[in-house]
Amino acid sequence: MNETFLRRNLQPIVIWALLLTVPFWLPLFGGYTALAGRVLVFALAAMSFNMLLGFTGIMSFGHAAYFGLGAYGCGLFLKFVYASTPLAMLAGTLLGGIAGTLFGLLLVRRRGVYFAMVTIAFGQVCFYIAYKWDDLTGGYDGLRGFARAPIDLGLTKIDIQNNGTALYFFILLVFGVAAAAQGFVLRSPFGRTMLAIRENERRARFLGIPIEKHIWLSFSISCFFTALAGSLYALLNNFADPQGLTYVMSGNIVMITIMGGMRVFWGPLIGAVLFVALQDYVSSAWPTTWMGVVGVVFVSVVLFFPRGLMGMLQKRAGT
Amino acid sequence: MSTVPKLEIRNATKQFGSLVAVSNVSMVVQPGELRAVIGPNGAGKTTFFNLITGFFPPTSGEILLDGQTINHIPAAGRVKLGMGRTFQITEIFPELTVRENARIAVETGLGFSLRAWLNAADKKKVADASDEVMTMANLTSKADRLVGELSHGDQRSAEIAMALALKPTLLLLDEPTAGMGDEETFQVTGLIRRLHRDSKYTIVLIEHDMRVVFHLADTISVLAEGKLLAQGTPAEIAANEHVQNAYLGKAE
Amino acid sequence: MMQLVMFNVTNGLIVGAFYVLMALGLSLIINLSNVVNFAHGNFLAIGGYLAFTLTPYVGFWGALLISPLLTAIFGYFIEQLLIRHVYARNHIYSLLLTFGLGFILQDVCRVIWGPSPLPLDIPELLSLPITPDLFFITWYRVFMVGVVVVAVSGLFAFLRYTRVGIRIRAGTLDLDTVSALGVNVAALRSYNFAVGSFLAGLAGVLAAGQIGLNPNMGDDLIMPSFIAIIVGGVGSLTGTLLGGLLIGVAAALTTVFYPAGAEAVIYVIMAIVLLLRPRGLLGEEGMLS
Repeated sequence: MNETFLRRNLQPIVIWALLLTVPFWLPLFGGYTALAGRVLVFALAAMSFNMLLGFTGIMSFGHAAYFGLGAYGCGLFLKFVYASTPLAMLAGTLLGGIAGTLFGLLLVRRRGVYFAMVTIAFGQVCFYIAYKWDDLTGGYDGLRGFARAPIDLGLTKIDIQNNGTALYFFILLVFGVAAAAQGFVLRSPFGRTMLAIRENERRARFLGIPIEKHIWLSFSISCFFTALAGSLYALLNNFADPQGLTYVMSGNIVMITIMGGMRVFWGPLIGAVLFVALQDYVSSAWPTTWMGVVGVVFVSVVLFFPRGLMGMLQKRAGT
Repeated sequence: MSTVPKLEIRNATKQFGSLVAVSNVSMVVQPGELRAVIGPNGAGKTTFFNLITGFFPPTSGEILLDGQTINHIPAAGRVKLGMGRTFQITEIFPELTVRENARIAVETGLGFSLRAWLNAADKKKVADASDEVMTMANLTSKADRLVGELSHGDQRSAEIAMALALKPTLLLLDEPTAGMGDEETFQVTGLIRRLHRDSKYTIVLIEHDMRVVFHLADTISVLAEGKLLAQGTPAEIAANEHVQNAYLGKAE
Repeated sequence: MMQLVMFNVTNGLIVGAFYVLMALGLSLIINLSNVVNFAHGNFLAIGGYLAFTLTPYVGFWGALLISPLLTAIFGYFIEQLLIRHVYARNHIYSLLLTFGLGFILQDVCRVIWGPSPLPLDIPELLSLPITPDLFFITWYRVFMVGVVVVAVSGLFAFLRYTRVGIRIRAGTLDLDTVSALGVNVAALRSYNFAVGSFLAGLAGVLAAGQIGLNPNMGDDLIMPSFIAIIVGGVGSLTGTLLGGLLIGVAAALTTVFYPAGAEAVIYVIMAIVLLLRPRGLLGEEGMLS
């Protein structure tokens, strides 16, 4: 390891060092490990969303749908099919990902506000189904009565069921693999066409890039990753919540991304830290008006810190 | 024995409702030629250009590339057939580096744009081709700068480099020096001349700046009110009375 | 059975009228400013609560006039204070801004007027049924539909015959040209936002008289309003009007035959429209790209 390697990769090195040692330092600040699990899940959802917003320049405001479908898919599988955590995650990821891929077909020719509105409406369709189909989904009360199963590795079992630290590291493992996969996609020739579409759609089209197909693909990829995050959320809480399908959740995913910095790969992770900390603090400090306080924070971020924390730091370092 | 023309336009007309933007224009561009299309504002230059690039089809008439009609091939298809183009307002990927701009174009040209990964051989192919177009556009020293932060002239060069990355056989430039100062105009003109003289590209350009046109072009076509007014070498055009009346007299 | 059908159809008409009122306001703002106002439902709530506060002093009729005007003024100031700063930015910021604004306004209502539902007193005459047979159709329901018809006609007349209205319509079609003609686009957008807020406020007063007040009373109307706009076609107010009526009546008719599917039918209509006519019933082709 020479000096340039260190300097070039300082960001991921610091991030991974902190993430791997969470159970040791988080309690010192009065946090608990489940909180860190929530940060990772939201971070993964927002990073997946950011593949669209930050890297393809496409504005979905309905990503809660795929997040929520991931959670329901995972929970339903555990409850009704088979008590296997990896298979349940696969089921959730497929459910949300395939739904996103199909919705994406109807979306690709729309742009801007219209695109956003249709994504919101699709999200609401999913909420509506989960809400109405209460025999299966538990309706308004959400889906309960399932539990994450220990991971069976043949020789040994990892007890993510009762051991909070093991659960955290399991989530961290999934997060790490997913983040690596996202980085891989973004650095590929296909990933560069996403950037091209964001930067200048007309130019990209005249280079011969089939824009609609590429937007559809990146939407689909983003939805699969978001659904994976959703399945982790179901495991984390042993619960799937219909409120998690609404546009409020979509707004939270957008907010996390903006807070952290939407043009920055790790931005949403930082955003998730800020968001979860804020949520945790505000809901205990202002139990009755926490919504208004969160609203004020949202509005302030939009007006005064639109580049997000990482965006601002990078700008400063760059100039 | 004449060769097949690179580009041929036969009696092209384009009407928008009752407005005839281009009226019965014919033109033959030979391989290796540098053709300039000039004309006062509203002469139909941009419409004419859009007919060639496939932005919309002609109302009547025919457009042929390498002797084949391309009337019904849309813009993207014409790019694949070897038409590279730049735009009046520079179209680039501003927040990416020169190298990334070039690389995206190269990868698209090579049909790699849906690939999730490249093997070592393909990677080298992409890197070499990107280096090549950056060298041609004289941008190697600025390869890792964001295109959006470069001067107008360099941005235009980058745009031309992207067009070159698709290995076009015909280069269409829409007012390549529009809105540029003398120094930048000189830079871009130099680039176009090198591409024409050294790399033997066939080039059609629309231009406003008379110095550029008379400096560069082998042949000049003059459009006025949608019609072809005159056609000839720069010397012939300069001496043409009609052109002087219709255009040069007013412009100079 | 006949009574049930009548009940549901009138219900559907009223609901459709609310969709139309909400969706037209949203649509106005989207068309001219490219902002999807997530807080539109909260402007509705504010209109309702203002009427609650005003009624003891000016009566229901006074509140019906004054409250939407105050909501419009409030909207004007919100636009000046917050919304206008994000027009030039990525659309995601305007979505997020109004999303946060919705949270704030909801809590503002909660703090000022309390979290529990409140009734809005309406004149005795309006609460009577129109005939003893149709005891469930009160004059208030008829009145609501009437007000909506008047308001919508007024809006279209405003856009056709007044200077500001004509400019708003022109700006919707081609903002650059309107700006080049020397129209103050920033001011135009503020007025336009105020008009949109007026419609939300009016819907708020009417809704409060029917179902009472609570801080998130607008939430249930916002999503159908989005769908009305999508179905009608972004960029066309007539489309929005048509879309709102269509989904309102469709939902009502479904209620008659299959109550559980009343809400679903809205989404089904949206899906069909998106599949068969992606730009919406009356949407402009240009709005797609």
